[in-house]
Amino acid sequence: MPSWLSKSSTKKKAVIDKDGDLFDEEFQRRLEYLAIVSKRVVSGRMRAERRSKKTGAGIEFADYREYAPGDDFRYIDWNVYQRSGRLLLRLFEEEEDLSVYIIVDASRSMGMGEPAKLRYAKQVAAALSYVALANLDRVSVLSFGEKMEGRLAPTRGKNRVFKVFEFLRGVEATGTTDLQTSLKTFAAQNKRKGVAILISDLYDPKGFEDGINQLRYARFETTVLHISDPRDLEPELNGDVRLVDRETGAHRDVTITPRLLAKYKRAHEEYQARIQGFCRDKQVGYFPMRTDIAFDDAILNVLRKGGVVR
Amino acid sequence: MTSLASSLAVPLFALTGWPLTTVLAILGAAGGATLLLYLLKLRRRRIHVPFVGLWEQVLAEKQTTRLFSQLKRWLSFLLALSIVAAMAISLGDPRSEALDEDARTLVVLVDASASMQATDTLPSRFDAAKEHAEALIEGLGPADRLLIAQLDARSAPLSPLSSETRILARALDSLRVTDGEADLRSGLRLALDVLRGKTRPEIVLISDGGFETETGLQALSERIEEAGVRLSYVPIGQRAANVGITAFSVRRYPLDKSQSEVLVELYNPQDRAEDVELELLGDGNAVDVQTLTIPGGERVRRFFRNISGVDQTLEARLRRADQTQDDLPVDDHAFARLPSRRRTRVCVVSEGNLYLQAALLLDEYLDVREFQPSDWPVRDDECEVFIFDGYTPAGTPNAPSLYLNPDENGPLEIIGEIEGPYFDHVRRQHPIFQWMALRDVNMSTANEVRLAQGDRAIARSSDGPLIVTGTREGKRFVATTFNPQTSDLPLRVAWPLFLLNTIDWFVQEEGDYLSSFAVGETWRVPVAPELESVEVLDPSGESREVPVVDGRAVYAGDQTGFYEIRHEGETIDRFAVNLGTVLESEIMPAERLAISETVQAEAPTRGQAGVRKELWLYLILLALAVLVIEWWTFHRRVTV
Repeated sequence: MPSWLSKSSTKKKAVIDKDGDLFDEEFQRRLEYLAIVSKRVVSGRMRAERRSKKTGAGIEFADYREYAPGDDFRYIDWNVYQRSGRLLLRLFEEEEDLSVYIIVDASRSMGMGEPAKLRYAKQVAAALSYVALANLDRVSVLSFGEKMEGRLAPTRGKNRVFKVFEFLRGVEATGTTDLQTSLKTFAAQNKRKGVAILISDLYDPKGFEDGINQLRYARFETTVLHISDPRDLEPELNGDVRLVDRETGAHRDVTITPRLLAKYKRAHEEYQARIQGFCRDKQVGYFPMRTDIAFDDAILNVLRKGGVVR
Repeated sequence: MTSLASSLAVPLFALTGWPLTTVLAILGAAGGATLLLYLLKLRRRRIHVPFVGLWEQVLAEKQTTRLFSQLKRWLSFLLALSIVAAMAISLGDPRSEALDEDARTLVVLVDASASMQATDTLPSRFDAAKEHAEALIEGLGPADRLLIAQLDARSAPLSPLSSETRILARALDSLRVTDGEADLRSGLRLALDVLRGKTRPEIVLISDGGFETETGLQALSERIEEAGVRLSYVPIGQRAANVGITAFSVRRYPLDKSQSEVLVELYNPQDRAEDVELELLGDGNAVDVQTLTIPGGERVRRFFRNISGVDQTLEARLRRADQTQDDLPVDDHAFARLPSRRRTRVCVVSEGNLYLQAALLLDEYLDVREFQPSDWPVRDDECEVFIFDGYTPAGTPNAPSLYLNPDENGPLEIIGEIEGPYFDHVRRQHPIFQWMALRDVNMSTANEVRLAQGDRAIARSSDGPLIVTGTREGKRFVATTFNPQTSDLPLRVAWPLFLLNTIDWFVQEEGDYLSSFAVGETWRVPVAPELESVEVLDPSGESREVPVVDGRAVYAGDQTGFYEIRHEGETIDRFAVNLGTVLESEIMPAERLAISETVQAEAPTRGQAGVRKELWLYLILLALAVLVIEWWTFHRRVTV
């Protein structure tokens, strides 16, 4: 186990991947107090810190049901039997783990920006993974471009965060964005419902709606973390240029004027507003995250205020 | 564009700078280039964006403004063309014809000859001439134009025709006085060429008038009259207190090259006698000092004989007997270079000839080796000259050879005998016969020989050649067809001279050596023939690469003194340069100048006061303004 995961290590060390620091130990300690919030009670397989609808060997009483042959005698409520003569079985809410799916957009457009949006997304994903693993949630990290590219199998336990980092380290910005195809595949591959956190710049020529809808239809509790670079909104351009789409290679010759830049800014703001409006209407959590805001602030403030973590 | 230019050229304006055809050519070329640049598709910078879809959305609205964009592009092109047109026309320096009718066109010839170094006008006549030229520039009228030219041995313009004080002042600064004479003819020709077709043409000559005006000026005088050019003259100088060295030459004695003879000619152009002190310096050390009285208007020659101990340079310095300097220092100092001497190895193959041995002993720079005929072939690779006396080897020796009465083995075919010949025909110009007289030499017999192609009989009797020169297998030879020992030649002064001249001719020591060159001429200084160029360092320390043509460095400088010839950083030779003409010592200023009976120089005209109106300046300002507008509109995205 690397030293940064060792509890005995008091030295402030950075958690390193090849892109540099993901986050340091100070931030790691602060993450310990956070947990991913699930608004719904979801079913899990492992006994954990989440209440599930499933009744079992929990502590909190949930309900009674008629005894059926084979039931554990230990759960028969003998007081009720004494009073009513009926064999009723006491049911308890079993505490189960929450499945958290962190889906990172790794298309080429995510490779742009200063810092690159993908790096920012990886930091956010790493932090959220750590929060989830610290709460014994089942964490699965996935990356996609035009299809689902990589997948870290669901894992539990804080000490497995290393695997998450390893996975994120290997994620690179390639290919185009196809939210619908990718998330449809995701929904088909992951039957177990849970929290799906989509981290993306949402630059999909086919539109973002169908992709998010795929998660909704599959009954995932969806949160969209919309990553944007300040230059996406206010590009530093002038003169006669050929704009080339980073993902598709499509180009457009244009003479940049201040008026055109203002128009573009308006169009971009409208695009963001459209995403926000869609998410609000569909009860999907939406959080715009700019790469010029330190990601630890974003995690500790934006997501906590927004109720993604508590 | 053509109509624009012609309208500029004909009714209102005249192009006084570059000619109309040149301006139109530039305009066409620059306009074409501008058009080409506009037709070329702009290569755009490639900028990657994360999502071009958003831009598509924005740009969809811009399609409607395409026509307007095209119009703006054409407007931008027209602006660029107007800039090009304004700049091209400004090159023609257009001027209002109304103004030009009264405008003077002056060519100011500033005399930069040696006599202008005279100090009778302090600090010098040349500085006074520059001050006059400056006054002429300051007095220019609003449309007047002036050209400054230096008048020396090779007159040259130093400025264009301009009314710009700054340009003309710069030209004045570049004037430089020379040690040569001024060629008035070339100066006037230059001025007439410049003034052809110009309004109110005027040549202003600022000089002390020391010109040779007798020859070649009649035709120029006619040209001046035909062109209606006014000739003005500004006399410079006050008096003529000068005595100068007009000739200075040195030669080594032919029979004793360790000693030299020096000729000095002094000239007193004044009308009164002058006592002077003449100092001779050899290799920088005083050799002789003489005090002389030179009568007014006369030249005096002095010979300094048997100068010994001087090997390289000689200088003559002149000053008044009262140790004061006259008005022209430049002709009080003369320079000469002695021909360099080197030791020559002469190999004599003879059974013994006292006359020969004695003659060769006269030149201490000869390293004579004697061999018996039985020693032949001589194994001495250092032999530079062979003398064969009474023996003729078979084959051609590997060095130039003098054959005294060769037999059949020699270079000449013997076909008979001549009885009692005399030197009837002698090529006296040949270097071998310098300072010699052969006419009354008596000989008993001589061989009659047949000359091969390329052989020359440089001395002959009426019956056949007596002394022959030629080349065999690339080696020179000289052969006497008679036996000197059967003649009275060895008893004469001509005998050692003949031998030493022959050796000198073989080793290229030149009899026509020039101890000094003259300013104003083209110098051809002998150097090693294999060199292609050498570096010449003048007395002021400036060096220049000069070509070598046929073994001579060709150069023409304008300073007196010692020059160095260098090759690959090493000094390989030096040569001396003196004033080339007596005329420069005659520094009496001329009050008036007449180049012919009909053309008399007058006083310069004066410019009319007024405001200078130069359209080219406004055209450049217009171009600049349009450029600024274009730049602004481009960067504000108005024209793109």
